[in-house]
Amino acid sequence: MENSQFFVSLTLILITFGIYIGIAIYNKARQTSDFYVASRGVPPVFNGMAIGADWMSAASFIGMAGTVMLLGYDGLAYIMGWTGGYLLLTFLLAPQLRKYGRYTVPEFIGDRYGSHTARVIAAICTIIISFTYSVGQLSGSGVVIGRLLEVDARIGTLIGVVLIAFYAAFGGMKGITWTQVAQYIILITAYLIPVIFMSLQITNNPLPWLSYGQVVSELGELDRQLGLSEYFAPFENGTRWQFLALMFTLMAGTAGLPHVIVRFYTVSTMKAARWSGAWALLFIGLLYLSAPAYAAFSRFILMTNVVGQPIDDLPAWTETWLNTNLLQIADTNNDGILQWSEIMISNDIVVMATPEIANLGVFVIGLMAAGAMAAALSTAGGLMIAISSSFAHDIYYRVLRPNATDSNRLAVGRITIVGATVLAGIIALDPPGAITQIVAWAFALASGTFFPALLLGVWWRRANGPGVIAGMLVGLIVTLSYIFAVRFGGFSIAGIIDTGAGVFGAASAIFTIVVVSLLTKTPSQEVQDEVKDLRYPEQMTYKNGDVWMK
Amino acid sequence: MKKIDKSVADAYYREKNKYILLFLSIWFVVSFGVVLFADSLQFEVPILGFPFHYFMGAQGSIVTFIILLFINAKVSDRIDQKYGIDEGANEQISYGKTVDH
Repeated sequence: MENSQFFVSLTLILITFGIYIGIAIYNKARQTSDFYVASRGVPPVFNGMAIGADWMSAASFIGMAGTVMLLGYDGLAYIMGWTGGYLLLTFLLAPQLRKYGRYTVPEFIGDRYGSHTARVIAAICTIIISFTYSVGQLSGSGVVIGRLLEVDARIGTLIGVVLIAFYAAFGGMKGITWTQVAQYIILITAYLIPVIFMSLQITNNPLPWLSYGQVVSELGELDRQLGLSEYFAPFENGTRWQFLALMFTLMAGTAGLPHVIVRFYTVSTMKAARWSGAWALLFIGLLYLSAPAYAAFSRFILMTNVVGQPIDDLPAWTETWLNTNLLQIADTNNDGILQWSEIMISNDIVVMATPEIANLGVFVIGLMAAGAMAAALSTAGGLMIAISSSFAHDIYYRVLRPNATDSNRLAVGRITIVGATVLAGIIALDPPGAITQIVAWAFALASGTFFPALLLGVWWRRANGPGVIAGMLVGLIVTLSYIFAVRFGGFSIAGIIDTGAGVFGAASAIFTIVVVSLLTKTPSQEVQDEVKDLRYPEQMTYKNGDVWMK
Repeated sequence: MKKIDKSVADAYYREKNKYILLFLSIWFVVSFGVVLFADSLQFEVPILGFPFHYFMGAQGSIVTFIILLFINAKVSDRIDQKYGIDEGANEQISYGKTVDH
């Protein structure tokens, strides 16, 4: 049994990897422009899927359902935050950035604000944010590979490093776009099959989205009987303000994440950018709508099938997880029966253990492994492209070696990917925090730096270079200080903890950009015209106070 | 290339913004608005069986977000059409327009 599971998981992972690598080789990038933005010819539906794969990381795939299960209503801040940000992005930024037409986010900031310093700060921010995020991905993929191939998590991390470095460096963005379409299909299939079976088993309804509402209400009833606060009771694990701050941080961070924004450069027009955003959220929504169902079903099974059983006679699936210490039980009152309060569950096991809980067999477990790997690798691949373009294009080419040749820049880009992946892998061997926590810091940093800089850059033509330099630095410092003050100084405002830090970062950055811009020189007429030009579709051009139609 | 009357260009911009403002207000109400008043919105949703605040957090808001994005894409297309914008021309103009320094 143990062995057959190992071979099925391994075979499925290898087959899916074969598909990704095959696609990457088939689309091997040749020109610089292909490497970074895929020739702008990707149709919106497929671009939506690629954004979905890029977006849904190891944290979403493995961790989110467990987070919702443990935090109850308060965990829904993650669900709303990571979906609602797409509205800010698609309404306020993506089409305009597409019309402005640059390769990278730092390129936009540097040209729009007419400042080399701003470009370099933006490039460094991109590297910090994407790097932080990819550490979380690599440690996630290490856990998955380790658990499913039954090797040490560190070896799992190393396997992940080699794979990411290989196809990100050789495929570039074009390879990655189509690879990510394949990854999306695999990861969503892997995510939905177990939850559909669980729904059938518990409620006799194959549609978990319609059936788990009843289960949520029953959970509340069970909690009442046990004298606990109800599963769905709001603000039990943090204040109302923490919920709102976290939700804002995740939304604004979404709109400011460089590796997501760059996706909107791969479409042909502003119209295609709007449709890509819509399709992306539809595809992403499938997973986010299912996560709370996972949470409810798993908790229901735990409360009804596991709790109340004699400790010596628990279901067979608990044993493997007890061995990993991700599930712990202790008979604190020595009555030989397991009580709810005697279980300790790590949020990372909820999704991974589901196929075993629901008895779905080796094939589905193998599929879950392949899906989780797809989630971790696709996000890490996108992040690595963002890091490499910031370094090779925005720093090396624009600042250090303005006369570097195309092939020279490609080489630097590839070396950056390999270097960054290895470095992130080394840090991931001994991660500085839980996966979701690391990911939340990346979002807080993005909402404190890029979100204000891009929002005002597109919508306020008076915003200028000194303003954005000061604003991004203040946002970065405020966000980082708040995270450190909460984690090491026990400091907090209105109960808002480190994961909600982005709200202070964004507010202070916006305030700084506005004040400093107003105190310094008005941007040139040319820059102001360029900003006004973003109000109109491609066919209309704004010039010297008039709008022209081609 | 022909010049467009200032008032027409402004009308285009205003019309687009009017909808964005409307969509973002709905976005705000279904997410931040419901969370703000979560404690007093715990009545049960018919058929599905959720308490309302939980339903909005787990499903209602997300489905609203998706619908808003598709409506936005559709409405924007219609506004473009009304002002005589041709997507084929847009593609041609933006193709290769990217500034590569």
